[in-house]
Amino acid sequence: MTNSAEAGKILRQRAQALAQVPLPPAADTVLELLEFGLASERYAVERRYVQEVQPLRELTPLPCTPAFILGIVNVRGRIVPVLDLKKFFELPERGLTDLHRTIIVRGHDVEIGLLADVIVGISPVPAESLQPSLPTLTGIRADYLKGVTDRRLVVLAVDRILSDPKIIVHEEVED
Amino acid sequence: MKWNVGTKIAVGFVIVLIIFLIVGAVAYRSVVRQSETASAVTHSYAVESELTQLLASLQDAETGQRGYLITGTDSYLAPYTAALPQIEQHRAELARLAADNPDQLAHLDALGPLITQKLSELQETIDVRRAKDFAAAQAIVMTNRGKNAMDAIRGVLQEMRTEEEDILKVRAAAREADARDTSWTILIGTLLAAFAAAVAGAIITRAIAVPLKSLTGVAERITLGDLSVNADVGGGRRDEIGVLAQAFERMRRSLRTLADAAERVAAGDLRASVQAQSPNDQLGNSFVRMTDNLRRQIGDMVEAAAVLGSASSEIVASTSQLASGASQSAAAVTETTATVEEVRQTAQLASQKARAVADTAQKSAQIAQSGRKSTADVIAGMERIRTQMEAIAETMVRLSEQGQTIGQIIATVEDLAAQSNLLAVNAAIEAAKAGEQGKGFGVVAQEVKSLAEQSRQATDRVRTILGDIQKATTAAAMATEQGGKAVEAGGRHTETAGESIGTLAASVNEAAQAATQIAASSQQQLVGMDQVAVAMENIKVTGTQNMASARQLENAARNINELGQRLKQLAETYRV
Repeated sequence: MTNSAEAGKILRQRAQALAQVPLPPAADTVLELLEFGLASERYAVERRYVQEVQPLRELTPLPCTPAFILGIVNVRGRIVPVLDLKKFFELPERGLTDLHRTIIVRGHDVEIGLLADVIVGISPVPAESLQPSLPTLTGIRADYLKGVTDRRLVVLAVDRILSDPKIIVHEEVED
Repeated sequence: MKWNVGTKIAVGFVIVLIIFLIVGAVAYRSVVRQSETASAVTHSYAVESELTQLLASLQDAETGQRGYLITGTDSYLAPYTAALPQIEQHRAELARLAADNPDQLAHLDALGPLITQKLSELQETIDVRRAKDFAAAQAIVMTNRGKNAMDAIRGVLQEMRTEEEDILKVRAAAREADARDTSWTILIGTLLAAFAAAVAGAIITRAIAVPLKSLTGVAERITLGDLSVNADVGGGRRDEIGVLAQAFERMRRSLRTLADAAERVAAGDLRASVQAQSPNDQLGNSFVRMTDNLRRQIGDMVEAAAVLGSASSEIVASTSQLASGASQSAAAVTETTATVEEVRQTAQLASQKARAVADTAQKSAQIAQSGRKSTADVIAGMERIRTQMEAIAETMVRLSEQGQTIGQIIATVEDLAAQSNLLAVNAAIEAAKAGEQGKGFGVVAQEVKSLAEQSRQATDRVRTILGDIQKATTAAAMATEQGGKAVEAGGRHTETAGESIGTLAASVNEAAQAATQIAASSQQQLVGMDQVAVAMENIKVTGTQNMASARQLENAARNINELGQRLKQLAETYRV
């Protein structure tokens, strides 16, 4: 019965290995990302900027605004402009449905909504797994990207988007 | 000179007629002269009357004058006054009557002044008596002037009367002579006419009556059939009598010819030929037709006798054959009777079979009837199936509608799952915001999220299943529709089958009736065959009788044959 004794030993070793509680990663080394889908691609934003996620309801189009501003929505009494990131990333438009979601992000005392096709969920990602932006990306894409995870998730740099002077709308319509 | 009878009669009558004409003319002339004389006498008497009246009127006038002269009273003057116009009237009348007599006219001319003179004397005396007195008037009268005038007037009037009487005497004598001449003429003329008529009548009677009498005698004898007399009694005369006698002779000869021909025909010689005298010769034509007809009939009779002879010979032969045939038919009838018995038995068998067939056909008819009922049941069943198919179709529709409702519910559930998912994400965000204290809530949020995911997957599966159900429902609806059509077609087929079975049932019924009739007919046939058997027996008896009759017929035919031979000999005595 040496075999059974050996087998028992192997099984015991495996059980001990499994019983090991993994060390919780350090807070600064873990990025909590809210993952969402735009068109057929996956994007993510850091959780710490996200206030909440809302279904896209009662969107009011705003005239005299750039094309990337869809309009404004009412979120619990606050007026929040909604940005369409697909305009930035030149992704194909599919039209608006009530399945669209709005991710309310906040930073630098600016609160805006990002339009998302699908909300996937929140997932922690190690900070070291985040790779810098691809060198092939240039222009606004390179500006707005924080990096790409090993799961090929494009992490957006929300603070840069929010502080980008381009999104500050100041247009005047001449009569 | 030869005169025919017509000329003689005409001459006699003309002589008598001439005499009568002469007598008539004389008598007429005498009557005319008598009439003239009578009117002359009347004329003379009228003249005399006028003369007398003239004198009377003159005397009246004188009488009136004298009365007045004596009395001086005007009433005595009336005769005078009345006489004056009468005198003038009578004078004028005398002048008219005497216009044809110069002597009397001369007398009248002499009379005129005398009358004037007398009248003037009368007037003068009357005027004087009226103017003076009777004496003066008497003086005038005493001159005798008036008396002389009156005497002269009387003398003249007397002369005129005498002359008229002379004329009257002459005329009376002439009338007397005329009357005498006329009387003589009438007497002599009448006697002459009577004599001439008597002479002519005697001559004509002698010329006509005697030959006619002898001809009448000849006609009487011909009427009695004696054609031997000579009818030419005219003795060569060429007048009407002679012609009549010659015509009588020709008629006699013609009749004699016919009589001779009839004699020859009576003797059997039909070769005699008679010519008709004319198309109107009834007797001749009838005789010609009679001999022709006789010749033809005798010829026909000879032929008929020959035919009769040969036919009777044939009849004899035929009756012999008939007799032998009758015996043969008797034998055949016996055989036939046996055959009829066999046929009768066969008919009995056929009748039994026909009855069995009729029973079978009756059963077939009942089966066909039940088949009809079954068909009706099938049709009703098909109808029920169709109704149920319709109900199934409705159920399918409802099922489809409910599938759509389920789809809507699924959509709602999906929406709920999505919202749950969103809530879980928000919960996770909130948990993360809470930091260390929110970790447990983060786990719950994670669980909620996974539940929402499971709900979504479950709704996906339900949707898939619902899609399958809807496909199946559609397929079932189509199947139901096809089933409905199939049921409809089945119904139609069933109806057709029902009709066919109905027709079949009717045919089977007819067949059953026909079979029944066949059975009845077979029965009748059987009875008929029995009757045929009886009839054959009768025929057998009759055949025997026929044989006897055929023998009798043979004898009769022989008699007819002998008769034909005798007729033939008789016909041959005629020479045609």
